[in-house]
Amino acid sequence: MRVITALPMLKRLTRYSTYAMVMSICIGISASTASPTTANINQDLSPWQQIEAQGSNQDVYFYAWGGDPQINAYLQWVADQVDDKYNINLVHVKLSDTSEAVSRVLAEKSAHNDDQGSVDLIWINGANFATMSESSLLLKQWANKLPNFALTDPDNNPTVNFDFGVPTNGMEAPWGQASLTFYYDSLSTSKPPTTLTELTTWTAQNPGRFSYPKPPDFLGMSFLKYVLVMLHQQQDAQTGKNTSAQLNLPATEENTALVLDPLWAFLDGFHPTLWRNGEQFVQTGAQMRRLVDDTELSLAFTFSAPEVPAAVQRYDLPQSIRSYAMSDGSLSNTHFVAIPYNASHPQAAQLVANFLMSPEAQAKKQTPSVWGDKSVLVQSTLSPAQQALFKTKQPHPSALPFDSVKRTVSEPHPSWVEAIQQGWQARYGVSP
Amino acid sequence: MSQGFDKITKKGDSPRPITLEKKDLFTRIVSFSPKLLILILILPVLCGLICVLLPALSWLPALEKTTLNLQGFIDLWQTPGITQMAALSLATGLISTLLAFVIALMILAAFFNSVWLQRIEHLLSPILVIPHAAAAIAVGFLIAPSGMFARLISPWLTGWEMAPDGMFPHDPYGISIILGLTLKELPFLLLMALGALAQPELGKKLRQQYTVALNLGYYPITAFFKAVLPLLYPFLRLPILAVLAYASASVEMPLILGPNTPPTLAVSIIQWFNDVDLTLRIKASAGALLQLVLTAGLVGFWLGGEKTIKAIFSVSSVNGKRHYADAIWQKVTAILTVGVIGFMLLSLSGLVLWAFAGFWRFPAMLPEQFVLLHFQSAFTQMSTPLVNTLSIGAVSTAFAVFLTLLCLEAEQLSAKPLSHFTSFIIYLPLLVPSVAFLFGLVWLQQLANHQSEFFNVAFAHLLFVLPYVFLSLASSYRRLDSRFAHVAASLGAAPIKVFFQIKLPQLFAPILIAIALGLAISFGQYLPTLLAGGGRIATITTEAVTLANGASRRTSAVYAIMQMALPLIGFIVAWMLPKYFFRSGAR
Repeated sequence: MRVITALPMLKRLTRYSTYAMVMSICIGISASTASPTTANINQDLSPWQQIEAQGSNQDVYFYAWGGDPQINAYLQWVADQVDDKYNINLVHVKLSDTSEAVSRVLAEKSAHNDDQGSVDLIWINGANFATMSESSLLLKQWANKLPNFALTDPDNNPTVNFDFGVPTNGMEAPWGQASLTFYYDSLSTSKPPTTLTELTTWTAQNPGRFSYPKPPDFLGMSFLKYVLVMLHQQQDAQTGKNTSAQLNLPATEENTALVLDPLWAFLDGFHPTLWRNGEQFVQTGAQMRRLVDDTELSLAFTFSAPEVPAAVQRYDLPQSIRSYAMSDGSLSNTHFVAIPYNASHPQAAQLVANFLMSPEAQAKKQTPSVWGDKSVLVQSTLSPAQQALFKTKQPHPSALPFDSVKRTVSEPHPSWVEAIQQGWQARYGVSP
Repeated sequence: MSQGFDKITKKGDSPRPITLEKKDLFTRIVSFSPKLLILILILPVLCGLICVLLPALSWLPALEKTTLNLQGFIDLWQTPGITQMAALSLATGLISTLLAFVIALMILAAFFNSVWLQRIEHLLSPILVIPHAAAAIAVGFLIAPSGMFARLISPWLTGWEMAPDGMFPHDPYGISIILGLTLKELPFLLLMALGALAQPELGKKLRQQYTVALNLGYYPITAFFKAVLPLLYPFLRLPILAVLAYASASVEMPLILGPNTPPTLAVSIIQWFNDVDLTLRIKASAGALLQLVLTAGLVGFWLGGEKTIKAIFSVSSVNGKRHYADAIWQKVTAILTVGVIGFMLLSLSGLVLWAFAGFWRFPAMLPEQFVLLHFQSAFTQMSTPLVNTLSIGAVSTAFAVFLTLLCLEAEQLSAKPLSHFTSFIIYLPLLVPSVAFLFGLVWLQQLANHQSEFFNVAFAHLLFVLPYVFLSLASSYRRLDSRFAHVAASLGAAPIKVFFQIKLPQLFAPILIAIALGLAISFGQYLPTLLAGGGRIATITTEAVTLANGASRRTSAVYAIMQMALPLIGFIVAWMLPKYFFRSGAR
């Protein structure tokens, strides 16, 4: 009796599950057949036209750091544009750290998900790129075939083919360039330091008013790299040796102590003059900016110069903020977008990457009120009409004055990031 | 065939025996539901724990590591500051739980049987629905060197024209974390105690004992500790252990308020999992196991402490002494209560001010101008997180409420209460540190269906929503006057009809409250959303935590306010609807 009364329900369930199975099989078939047929039809098209045909009308999950409302708004504009152009639904997945996306792709690889990955496009450079490229987590030889890649003049402009000294091999498309910019509260300090030596004097006179984000934060690491490069330039000038050259080579057991010991010696003296006596560090650049607004800090730095005037416009920084670049050199690098090897929509992702490199998108991005990120395009490759897009208007008083960056300093080899991180963690990661 | 079945069911229907011997489909589903409940709660937790064990033993095929060894634990042991991390986790967890518990007891003791207890409950219960992240943000605003406290006394008293070099938040001793956790857990414990007192038999018994004690000349606080607490405590044990487990392994609070040289163990584990260096996942998994051991140790320590205190005070509870400086304790408690409530109100007002602030330089008490800009810019980006938050909350809560009702019905139909085992299992997701089992669970979910993050997140939320919904509904359901059901059944109503037409309408108000609570719990989940959704599902809470340590104090204030507003709206609706519906029916 018991069994019998349950049977109608069971039958109903079986019927529904059969429907569901049939449905899912249909969907599966249509999905798996869709792409090959379009590819076959369009065989007489150029490779790029094929990508355009295959990539349109799809979703693209763009994993990008989401900590800045301005950049988020710019990506929203990009989403609208690619929607108009290709009917692509671009979804910005906001990361607090790019490494989250790296772990995501790794987790998928470990679950043997090799073609249905959740990440279609990722904003990346430096150590994250080095890791993904070493673990073969990225799609190869596509970025150098994008039509707009030619506008970066790759033959004469090595910054678009090397990411922190590591060759990109077409695994990532250049998106923008940044250099380390400092800003200060002019009500709290009238004469900000413009060299590393002046910075140490300044922090000694203004104890507790400067800090840097705790490694492995990207911005904090950039500051440490700036310090490292400067220390070696000073040291080389005094001794006549060339230890700076080691910075462009991989970190090994032999050269690590030689290169990093000056940094630790410097930090041992520098830290006690910092915020909270160097026993606690800010977590991110954004937190550092907030402490400037709180008047806890009087001097800070960023890799994205235009965020400073933008923050003033949003009331997030006082109007007394001024930006400048260090006169002894500004650390500079290029940032890229890459496609994971298992992306679900690699063609659509390439369409988006190509659009990100278009004069239209790059000019919009360079506009100070939008984002102000420096374009990767070389002006001589552009038509006069395209060049006109890049003309700027009157800058904000808190913005970095035009042409402030006099000397750029290139990034050390990415392996130094790991070496600095470990050494830092062992020495300063645990406060006494 | 099907006709045959119909006949049989019809035959079963007409002379329905009152004793419910013959089970129809509804009864079957109902009697199966407790098993489903246990399965839903146990499987993910256990599988998650097993799946975190393998990588901890260096088994990570994605990195071509397929030999089992203890490298992860060796790395963990050699991590600089690992003992400090563990100590910080233990200390903040234990001290905050202890403080919350003691303050809750003091409030109960001082205001037992007084109208003030209700009033304090009303004042504090909104805190219960505030997500941890929002509470942490609010506390941070208050105690920072440029926070409301410093602004209130500057520059007229301190002479500070710029923010001083302070210690909070992020102090190395974890005081800020303890403060945040205590304030957040106090209302929970208080409400749990009041919930136990609301049980008709227990509450009546305790009140009678209390009155007897008063008549025998015991002072009120002493009477509470000697006559009420010994019987009340067993009902508080599981909630306290849940608080202890949460506090020792929480991520949001230490992330927003805690130090980072080093952070607490749970925060470090999350950071290792998300690190660029993928081999750190082995160490992270080993760390997750260590977290499990620490939390288990704390729970054991608490249970041991319980026994010790019982042994020590078993004599003094019957020594006949009528008071222990009761008057002073009464005053201390009153001051403490005012302090706690004042602290909360000040934090909240700071939050509201920041959400509308234009330029606001230290040490000004008020912003230079009030603007709506932060709300406008937040709302332009808030639609997706908002839709996600609401839909995930709706799915997980609907399922949780449905399953809970079926389980409670099963309990009544079988006329025996749920076993101790089941009641314990309901607490399981709250007792096992979520960092320890969520990673394994996510790995499993990816294996099973890696396409639907939405349902993965909704399922992960269900694990945390279910216990609260169950606790919230259980007492009302058990209090239902069973005579209505008996009368209906004797008039020939099928169990399904009794359930839907007799019982549920009577439970209209408690069900709405349970729904509001379920939604509130779901809205506040950070770690499950982050992990199960792989970062692709943004909710108001994940956005708030991301923003809390970054960008703008003003934007994070807006998100924190949204975090509070959503559950509050839910509770207000749950509170208003029954009044509106039943006003016409009232006689």
